[in-house]
Amino acid sequence: MIATLQNGRHGPLALGALLLVAWPLVFSTPYDLRVFTLAGIYALLVLGYQFVFGHAGALALTQGAFFGLGAYVTGILGARYGQGFLVTFPLSIALPVLLAAVVAAPVLRLETHYFALATLGIAQVLLLVCLLAEPLTGGANGIPGVPGVEILGLSLPRGWPLLLFVWAWVIAGAFVAQRITGGLYGKAFQLMRASATAAQCVGIDIARLRLRTFLFSAAYAGAAGALFVHTLRVVSPEALEFHVMVAVLAMTVVGGRTRIAGAIVGAVLLVHLPEWFRFLESYYLIAYGVALLAMIVLAPDGLVGELERRWPQAPETLPTAEPLPPRSKLIPREPLLAVSDLRKRFGGVRAVDGVSLALKRGEIVGLIGPNGSGKTTLINVITGLLQAENGAVRFAGEPLGGLRPDTIARRGLARTFQNLDLVDELTAIDNVAVARAAFEGAGLRQALLAVGRDPTLERARRQARFLLERIGLGEEMGRPCGDLPHGTRRRVEIARALALQPSLLLLDEPAAGLSESEQADLARRVEILRDDGITMLIVEHNMPFLMPLADRLICLNVGRVIANGTPEEVQADPRVIEAYLGRRGEQA
Amino acid sequence: MTALLDIADLVVGHGPVTALHGVSLRVNSGEIVALVGANGAGKSTLLRALMGLVPVTSGEIMFDGTPLTGPAWSRARRGLGYCPEGRRVFPGLTVEENLNVAAAPGASLDTVYKLFPPLANRRDAPGWQLSGGEQQMLAVGRALMARPKLLLLDEPSLGLSPLLTDELLARLRAIASDGVAVLLAEQNAAAALEVADRAYVLHLGHTVDDGSAADPGLRQRVREGILSAKGLTSG
Amino acid sequence: MLQVLVNSLALGSAYALLALGFVLILNAVNAVNFAQGDLVMAGGFVAVAFGMLLPVPGIVLLPLVLVVMALIGRALAAVAYFPLKSRPPVSVFISTIAVGIILQNLANALFGAEPRAAPPLFAGGLVELGGIVVSRQALAIIAVAAVMIAAQYVLFQRTALGRRLRATAQDREMAEALGIRVNHVIAATFAIAAAYAGAAGLLLANTFFVTPTDGGNYILKAYIAVVIGGWGSVPGAVVGALLIALFEVMLPSLPLIVPGLAGLPGASWLFSQTIATILLYLMLLVVLVVRPQGLFGEAVQRRA
Repeated sequence: MIATLQNGRHGPLALGALLLVAWPLVFSTPYDLRVFTLAGIYALLVLGYQFVFGHAGALALTQGAFFGLGAYVTGILGARYGQGFLVTFPLSIALPVLLAAVVAAPVLRLETHYFALATLGIAQVLLLVCLLAEPLTGGANGIPGVPGVEILGLSLPRGWPLLLFVWAWVIAGAFVAQRITGGLYGKAFQLMRASATAAQCVGIDIARLRLRTFLFSAAYAGAAGALFVHTLRVVSPEALEFHVMVAVLAMTVVGGRTRIAGAIVGAVLLVHLPEWFRFLESYYLIAYGVALLAMIVLAPDGLVGELERRWPQAPETLPTAEPLPPRSKLIPREPLLAVSDLRKRFGGVRAVDGVSLALKRGEIVGLIGPNGSGKTTLINVITGLLQAENGAVRFAGEPLGGLRPDTIARRGLARTFQNLDLVDELTAIDNVAVARAAFEGAGLRQALLAVGRDPTLERARRQARFLLERIGLGEEMGRPCGDLPHGTRRRVEIARALALQPSLLLLDEPAAGLSESEQADLARRVEILRDDGITMLIVEHNMPFLMPLADRLICLNVGRVIANGTPEEVQADPRVIEAYLGRRGEQA
Repeated sequence: MTALLDIADLVVGHGPVTALHGVSLRVNSGEIVALVGANGAGKSTLLRALMGLVPVTSGEIMFDGTPLTGPAWSRARRGLGYCPEGRRVFPGLTVEENLNVAAAPGASLDTVYKLFPPLANRRDAPGWQLSGGEQQMLAVGRALMARPKLLLLDEPSLGLSPLLTDELLARLRAIASDGVAVLLAEQNAAAALEVADRAYVLHLGHTVDDGSAADPGLRQRVREGILSAKGLTSG
Repeated sequence: MLQVLVNSLALGSAYALLALGFVLILNAVNAVNFAQGDLVMAGGFVAVAFGMLLPVPGIVLLPLVLVVMALIGRALAAVAYFPLKSRPPVSVFISTIAVGIILQNLANALFGAEPRAAPPLFAGGLVELGGIVVSRQALAIIAVAAVMIAAQYVLFQRTALGRRLRATAQDREMAEALGIRVNHVIAATFAIAAAYAGAAGLLLANTFFVTPTDGGNYILKAYIAVVIGGWGSVPGAVVGALLIALFEVMLPSLPLIVPGLAGLPGASWLFSQTIATILLYLMLLVVLVVRPQGLFGEAVQRRA
């Protein structure tokens, strides 16, 4: 939050949050103080939930369970074993994190609905186990008489001291969250959420990133659970019940899924909402449901997202360009790429059916073929997004079989996508900068230890500017990609691939949707890249674009290579003409 | 004579589809019009735009004398029969159900079975069990069940053997002689020109050439154009 | 033994109606309706309310409950699905959670938190059947649910509306391009799904009572049934529901059936409802991780 205030981007939001902080100063009955303390606890819980739900985009329904587990650890150790805060608090964080780590391996790779259900199942098991383990947990009655916060013999009284203590943790939590998500590492989250595939293909290990968000969520939840018990002084199965999860979800949706201010606004608002709706008496929870529904429909990005839309942040000043550091060259072994007898089928369809081909260093090779001939499948197998049933791919002599897409990308094999996998909300600069994450050492330690703005992000942005200028972008590189015209977005995507400093670049229909002049410009830049020593494989239907550019053409038809030679040879090949024009192409 | 379908300067914007930058074409009643061009030329986009499945940026589409607007279901009910690329028969519905689900009042299964006899033998087979050729017949038959004035046919030859392609396209003659106009988007230009009355050539979202399908000049230009470095340009 | 079987079959039949509604919406719009459990609860309370107004057996109330619940289902589609139909499926997940909160608290405000019972379908009490004594209500539940499941089958397989419902579920865009008013069909799907959940509520609310907070339990049952049966498979959902109920009823009854089990140390702890539920969730997790396509293989491919 400190950083948020410093860079002033969220000025109005931070001010709003401060106004909310000032709220209890006006009406400080003990009850109000308690409600506001609870709001702080929920804010911490929501801050954690934003990692997995907001940043990773996974609907985890375990946040309530981690909260409850943290609560029980403090409750049991505090009430039954007389342990103080310095023992109970770290353990309240550690146990949920441990549980998260244990369940993560099988659960994190599940798809949306399955993931939601699996996490819900885990939460329910935890609740039932807690009810069963009566000797330890007190069963349905829970454990009364949990002590307050006691540090080195000093005990923290309720009221103002506890409130400030809790909110100090909220500020600390917000600070850490801001450090983690505000830098280059955080941009990687954004790309992963927008397109896991694109994230992998710029060298980001998404499995590890997902796991980390899950562990962070658990840590925050455990801390919130511990503070919750110190506030209530009892722990009961209510802390584990599903309505806690629903409340967290509602707060995150209402406040905003990724914004720190959103976590605080959402928690403070929804904790106080029942108080404000009290005049509705027994109907107030209905109003709560209606408010939640209205938010989802009317403001999908939450209140903070809505505010940001109303008052968009001023465009950031562009960084100065900085060339990329030289990359250790691959051992020059020919051919650069060798594909042998590759096969991939989907159900009964042989999409790639025994393809062999080789690319020499410095070549531009066009890959052509009618619809459904297997071109994109071939590229997906080469880049590791699909696993082949048979055959091998060697890149600079090294076999790529079985490697993850992010590993392949980091070795210098970059690609672009037919349908432009960019993050619309990010600027062109940031879309390119994120591809430097794997090289600039963006990670937890860097994010947490840095002073001021994340230096890895700053450097990556300078490098991004350098790359974007090379591909012909000007001032518009500071605008969100969603606002840029199609032709510019194409170039941003190519710049993003170049950020990997690739030896081999696979372009999937780069000229699609470009005007004639844009095509000419693109062709010129492709030639410059070749002169810089980048080998390219270009999938393209647009012959006028491809023919003058390519040293060689390879034509695929129903998953097989049917021609391989100079553009003139391939163009005149009767089999190619038949593939394109039909059987009677000769006579037509 | 006013055309059944009259498209003037149609523009379809960017997005996940190939853009159209100004397409104009006409289809008269009972006529088979071929739409040829390499993939990526915008053929599918044009048919999808006619069905209302992708939004149109500008330009005018007149169908049967009035502007063609509104959701896809209303266009289907106005007399557009759509047979998409990849056939998209309903896999969990039987052949007969696939046909019936699209039936307009007065449509008869027998007409379709007469046109495509193999379907009659498989009337109780679920869509997913059909071969590629049977699926394509079913997709065409299903579109005809809506008793369209204009049949939009997207790449029917895709995945079919040349023999099956010939058979299927030959059926289009019978369909057209019943008064149904056909707009046939086809990558297999040779086969499409064989069956069509007239043809338009689409290149990178523009109509660049048109003429009688029998015109040797047009055939020559299509043949040279699709693979040449100069691209398809009129004349 | 047979008595236990009848009871679990009765519970399973009611679960099947619930799971059926869940899977219909899932197939039609590829979204999870998290309010499905709360619709069961709502159906129970609608039955309670009608029962207070009209002193007639439950079977007479059933058509009324179906109609009211269909309207609620239509409203659910209007507020929680249609405004969000172009957003990611998770939005609908959350919006239906919100509707669930509304339904739950509406019930709480109108009826209070105490358990309420709906009138029995025909009459209460026990009946002797071939030497065993079973409850009339259990038999009636099985009969009514069987009729409704058969009705769903006939509606979907033999009517024009059913064809359109299935076509829409299998390929929405194509259905629309063939002249089907897809939005109407989806609204009808929500109405049917809610009506079936409501029927389950009426059936369950006599034996098991109904409280405003019941929804959470029921949605989990539906969810598990659909996962076990194969995501998107209609018959799978029915079978999955029956299996869940069988397990839930059987495990606590084991000591009654197998002599000697009751004497084991910790038997009362082990053969309890809670342990049965825990095992159910653990099985669910195992199925999800090991065999995500469900126990009975994948539902028929959606796309050719």
